[in-house]
Amino acid sequence: MLMRSLLIQGAWNYRTMLGSGFAFALLPTLKRVYGKDPEELARAIERHSEHFNAHPYLAPIALGAVARLETDQVDGDTVRRFRTAVRGPLGGLGDTLVWATWLPLVAVCSLVLYWFGVPGGVVVLAFVVVYNVGHLGLRAWGLRLGLDAGRDVGARLTAVDLGGWARRLQGPLAIGLGVLSGVVLSAPGGVSSSGPAWAALAAVAFVVGLVGGHRVWRPAAVVTVGVIGFIGLWGILT
Amino acid sequence: MTELLRFGLLGGLLGLDGTAVGQFMISRPLVAGWLAGWVAGVPGMGIAIGAILELFLLVSFPTGGARFPEGSTAAVVAVGVAVPFEGSGAVAASVAMGLVWGQVGGWSVTVQRHVNGRLLSEDIGRHTGRLGRAHLLAIVGDFLRGAVVTVAGVTLGRAGLGLADGRWPVDAGVSTGVLYVGAAVSLGILLHDLGGFRRRRVLFVLGLAVGIVGARFL
Repeated sequence: MLMRSLLIQGAWNYRTMLGSGFAFALLPTLKRVYGKDPEELARAIERHSEHFNAHPYLAPIALGAVARLETDQVDGDTVRRFRTAVRGPLGGLGDTLVWATWLPLVAVCSLVLYWFGVPGGVVVLAFVVVYNVGHLGLRAWGLRLGLDAGRDVGARLTAVDLGGWARRLQGPLAIGLGVLSGVVLSAPGGVSSSGPAWAALAAVAFVVGLVGGHRVWRPAAVVTVGVIGFIGLWGILT
Repeated sequence: MTELLRFGLLGGLLGLDGTAVGQFMISRPLVAGWLAGWVAGVPGMGIAIGAILELFLLVSFPTGGARFPEGSTAAVVAVGVAVPFEGSGAVAASVAMGLVWGQVGGWSVTVQRHVNGRLLSEDIGRHTGRLGRAHLLAIVGDFLRGAVVTVAGVTLGRAGLGLADGRWPVDAGVSTGVLYVGAAVSLGILLHDLGGFRRRRVLFVLGLAVGIVGARFL
């Protein structure tokens, strides 16, 4: 089930989101439980192909818990209600812990290594290994938690306090972000190499991002591409 | 042609990592750029481009149903575009192309997701084999999508940059300066996400000092 959970987003779509992937990951369990009753197996597959959304790394928690319920022959409506109840928290929690904290933390540290002159292959290897120790560890732990806890998974999850882990990692991320900003500003080949005016402009751009948040990302990218496009066009025409 | 095919294969494989298979984050620009450079025999250039794109896309994640710039497509296309050119604007122009094509990649992911919805019929449970086949078909489709988008991006980008090659009117310092100014916005956004400067000022300034002093010893 852990291996199949790696493909849980294989057929991500706007109608069922992770739904079909959930059923796909659960299929061996469903066949084991309902293998002798094709009608019941079909109903179980349909039940688990319905809409489901969660962070992909935390989805194994739901998979494990639901596998436990199905193995215990809990009735279909109860399983369906349980599945619906757990999907929301697993989405928000995963986004905060993984996308907003763990991934940027490892990426920022890797970029710092790169700007400090560590060879590219080593930087990439460090990023992939460190990131995936957390990633695969989280998946395996989640599946085990779900299988052990069954319908009590909510209480066990609250006790573990994954949100607290995210908050604890944000401090190191703030330090890493500071180091990265300093290195990009001062390292050979960094902003300062282009001249003090560029360093001042970069500081202003940083403040724009700090104040504006995500809504300024796209305009900033458009301006960057536009300026470079203009320089290129100027070269072609003159 | 063979090189283009290699970029296409890499774009397809890394595109899968973005959402459909594993999400090991080998599709992040830092890794994808290095891999694309390695495929082309210039890993140093690959990671240099990948690192700049990673700065831009530090605040871009494959969250749920949101449309996001596809980092792997951006990085592979940028490196693929930069390889044949040596002028002072090669890196800047290829990163710009990568940023544009990352958006195209993101749009193609949205289209693929609509196609996936059609592959999965409402009565999928009636035929147990159909679920696995539909899943596999969606993954193959996503691979082909990534490959086609990458090849198209590299081809178009090379044609465009070919016009400006040797005619770039500013030096490399100005070109990379523009990139860093754009990327600095993403660093600011990341600090915004962490609660803003007021909340994180001590840790951020401490790190900034370490970074500036550390860079002096390089």
